[in-house]
Amino acid sequence: MPVFKTPFNGYSVKFSPFYENQLAVATAQNFGILGNGRVHVLQLGPTVTERAAFDTADGVYDLCWSESHDSLIVAAIADGSLKIYDSSLPPAANPIRSLHEHARECHGVDFNSVRKDSFLSASWDDTVKLWTVDRPASVRTFKEHAYCVYSAAWNPRHADVFASASGDCTTRIWDVREPGSTMILPAHEFEILSCDWNKYDDCIIATASVDKSIKVWDVRNYRIPVAVLNGHGYAVRKVKFSPHRGSLMASCSYDMTVCLWDYMVEDALIGRYDHHTEFAVGVDMSVLVEGLLASTGWDELVYVWQHGTDPRAP
Amino acid sequence: MATPSDAPPSSTDEKPQNPVSQVTQPTNDDRQDTKVEGVKESSPTSVFVNSEPIREEQVQNAVKFLSHPKVRGSPVMYRRSFLERKGLTKEEIDEAFRRVPDPTPAVATTQSVVTNQDGQIKSSSNGQQQPPAQVLQPTPVGPVGSSSKMGILSRFHWYRAVFAVGLLAVSGAGTAVLIKNAIVPRLKSWIRKVASEEDEEGPMKENNAKPNVAEEAAAAAKAAAAAAADVARASQEILITKSEEKRYFEELINLLNVQTNEMKSMSNAVQKLEGQSINGRITVEEQANQRVSRTSSRQPYTNGKADADSSSVRSLSPPAPVEPSAAPHPKSYMEIMAMIQRGEKPSNIREINDAPPNPNQPVSNPRLAPKPKPWESNQAQNSSLTTFQSQESSNGSNYGDNQLNGDDTLPWWQRKNVRITEIETADEQKFGSPNLPSNERPVQRSSWVPPQPPPVVMPEAAAAIRQPKKSSYLSDDQLLSQSTDVTDELQRITKISESGGAVDANGQISGLQSAELPQEENGSYLET
Repeated sequence: MPVFKTPFNGYSVKFSPFYENQLAVATAQNFGILGNGRVHVLQLGPTVTERAAFDTADGVYDLCWSESHDSLIVAAIADGSLKIYDSSLPPAANPIRSLHEHARECHGVDFNSVRKDSFLSASWDDTVKLWTVDRPASVRTFKEHAYCVYSAAWNPRHADVFASASGDCTTRIWDVREPGSTMILPAHEFEILSCDWNKYDDCIIATASVDKSIKVWDVRNYRIPVAVLNGHGYAVRKVKFSPHRGSLMASCSYDMTVCLWDYMVEDALIGRYDHHTEFAVGVDMSVLVEGLLASTGWDELVYVWQHGTDPRAP
Repeated sequence: MATPSDAPPSSTDEKPQNPVSQVTQPTNDDRQDTKVEGVKESSPTSVFVNSEPIREEQVQNAVKFLSHPKVRGSPVMYRRSFLERKGLTKEEIDEAFRRVPDPTPAVATTQSVVTNQDGQIKSSSNGQQQPPAQVLQPTPVGPVGSSSKMGILSRFHWYRAVFAVGLLAVSGAGTAVLIKNAIVPRLKSWIRKVASEEDEEGPMKENNAKPNVAEEAAAAAKAAAAAAADVARASQEILITKSEEKRYFEELINLLNVQTNEMKSMSNAVQKLEGQSINGRITVEEQANQRVSRTSSRQPYTNGKADADSSSVRSLSPPAPVEPSAAPHPKSYMEIMAMIQRGEKPSNIREINDAPPNPNQPVSNPRLAPKPKPWESNQAQNSSLTTFQSQESSNGSNYGDNQLNGDDTLPWWQRKNVRITEIETADEQKFGSPNLPSNERPVQRSSWVPPQPPPVVMPEAAAAIRQPKKSSYLSDDQLLSQSTDVTDELQRITKISESGGAVDANGQISGLQSAELPQEENGSYLET
């Protein structure tokens, strides 16, 4: 299976929604503490080749592909800015936009897959901002969390609904048409690092936390989780629902493993991959190819493999 | 026909009128009744809004919390965050803030009853947070005055106690002196007067008796004065000893602090030597990932620091499974952190100008149209196969374009496929049997075959493999899941009891529903 070595520590990996064999990787130097960053656009094949790379002054913590434009990438930078790159243009012409409004590091970014025109940025300045590609300033700012917001995720069916996961131990659900959050889920006793919606049941949301567990919630009855998934040895950094199967989800954790779960099943853990030798920080499931997974970590490696196979096999 | 009692037709009638209700589309039929009721109200129609009524008990708990003098000193944001973490909804939190006015604590139950009615009236209007002074006006001034005094008293009680003791001692001493100087001589003179009168009139016996009584009275008075003086002296001594004790206490605390600091530094040194990273400074996981400022720009939040400090005590003990123990960081990570905290900058950083060279250039046109998502075309869960096939055939041309994206004729998926199956069967691995049955994958895509998950060659072997897996590797997870089931039950029970049993029915029903779902729907790929 193809492996790609990045010069910096990996932070996030995302498959392109347009091309099955393209993916983008966000990396940051010196573990993201202090240093430069780089966005890689990779082409999958018998080996993984790099189509383009964009250097940044500060580490790149997250990125997402545009849902309406096949070569646009939005990157969340550790200096609080968002940079938009066009991978069809040479690096000298990039980035095409730089949006700097956050007061602190930008940690998460997500593109709206229903309306395909707007994206969210989650920042350590406790706010989430809504942007469109054509505007130089943010459209909305959502300021309610009491601590860093680590990730924001659009609902896959409702164009105006999104969720945010924060270090204040709550997940909030927002509607962009409303002034404030519409629901507050006190999901964990510790910081919540990631959240994602079930693509096949728009009321199910999963939250991943520092308490090593992933909890699955139904927003219609949010006092009690639908499922609590334990199995990771350390904080769970990212959770992602499968685009192809309703109850399948992938997660990566500081215990260096990537796990696959099916929360409807009694024994929810259905796969575990421990190919990384440092914190596994980014994971993604391809929308176009069923069962294709990608992960990256602080060991500066990007793996792409099919579920059920060994990521390290050549 | 389209009568209001019919759920589906009425919701479709409402749809064109109220654009907000379009979010109610994908909900099940069960929800349609509540949706209709929701549409009749003006704002919350979607599933993503909290529709529970305000729970009075939670609001009262919140009011008690907010009235606590220590809480009053904290920023409003922290108070809100605490209540949110306890599970209160926005409406309940707003209601609690409304009930607790700023200047005085609303401890008296009479006050809360009065404000309760006001609060209910106000909350039904669904307004913003109103100044708390309005709510307090109808209450009588008396309890307010006394409660304010009590409030002041409750804040300074330690200071006040010392002052009161001093006051008592001084007054005791003063009265003793008074008695000595004024009252005792007066008593004596009165006794002498009486005695002299008796002398003039009565016999010697009476004279003897009276002066005896008088003398006894004088002696008793003297003794009383002496006792009072002793009491005053004793209380003074108590004061002195108390202040001495205070001093000793402070010295003790200082010594303890010094000791703990030394211990901390020792443990740091030990850990540095061992190269481990469970550091007393930054132990909460995301604190470790936060950036440390070089000069000014990036400093971890102070409250974050407080979290780190409080959890640092925890991390010194062996990590319990429930608590989030900090993952051991790579050695070079700790080196970089140490460098930065010393103020050095890692040498491999370059100066990069990443500003957009032409920020006003228009965005280029996309070359591909957006593709439909797998979940968008189908309504039912897990029935993506057939519809996906039809989608694929209709999008065949797009995929054809897609293929010529710098690729060889045979995509790498196909080439890899053969080897994958060989590896899979030959190399029985850690993960359970691959059980995705999506083997009837569509082949209508131009020349592209999606990578097939390796087929299960021998189901019995797969099952057999899974058995020892269960016993050795996944048994821990089973135990964990069992124990978490128990803890979940406990949590659920405590939550239900906390909320006063109100959620009980809902919790039960939803639990049943979610339990029934797995068996029915996922029989296709459920592992045995």
